[in-house]
Amino acid sequence: MNYVIALFLGLFFGFSLNKAGLTKYNKIVNQFRFTDMAVLKFMMTALVVAMIGLYGLRGLGLIKFPTVPATYIVGNLAGGLLFGVGMALTGY
Amino acid sequence: MGWLKKQLSKELWSPYVAGILLGFVGILAVLLSNALLGASGAFENLAGMIGKAIAPNAFDNLYFNFVMPPGITWGVVLLVGIFFGGMVGAATSRTLKWGKKDASNSDRQWKRIFGPQTWKRWALGFVGAILLEYAAGIAGGCTSGLAISGGMLLVPAAFLFIAGMFASGIITALIIYRNRY
Repeated sequence: MNYVIALFLGLFFGFSLNKAGLTKYNKIVNQFRFTDMAVLKFMMTALVVAMIGLYGLRGLGLIKFPTVPATYIVGNLAGGLLFGVGMALTGY
Repeated sequence: MGWLKKQLSKELWSPYVAGILLGFVGILAVLLSNALLGASGAFENLAGMIGKAIAPNAFDNLYFNFVMPPGITWGVVLLVGIFFGGMVGAATSRTLKWGKKDASNSDRQWKRIFGPQTWKRWALGFVGAILLEYAAGIAGGCTSGLAISGGMLLVPAAFLFIAGMFASGIITALIIYRNRY
């Protein structure tokens, strides 16, 4: 059952990425050139919607947060720095 | 119905609308499966599976035993869904290029910068993807698994990651595009 949910959610995830145009090289790299802000608009909208929903649901006691990604400053930053290079190179 | 059909056949939606859709997907993932969206971890699960089959000793370490246990996880199924979801999205707007001539390298901007050869695109994609996956391993997630899923739970790691990603992404784009910036 969990797998059915995963497949279903994945479908919508991929669909939304495609419709936002983030499956294209030029959209990703142009974000870093600041000639096309689609990536930021997309990411931040998703963040805000999900934040409101999740914190609201937790406030109502309907969900508990899953284990959150660990924070270790050096790793997160170093990973992010390397990740950006790959992202701007490939556009994935 | 006509309106819905028209919207579905559009190639590009407003990123805000697509973002709202992803936001709901993120909420449902937590609500229904108590899981976070993430793509890069699934590759590590799969790599762990292959690695354990080929070289069990090399993969018998802390990382592949505990941090990223191999197997068909929730994330792997999600990844399959993402793949087909992207295809569905392209199919609805008739931009799906499966099997067509320039399918593997159709981006005009890419061709202008790096040249028309398809092998270059594949080579750069391969090298870049290694960087991406390795970096995601260090940071503990990728754009979806850490920046978006972590960000919606207000995890500090996510914002550190986004800051790093943009800092180096901007510099890399500057170097590649130089005076064409």
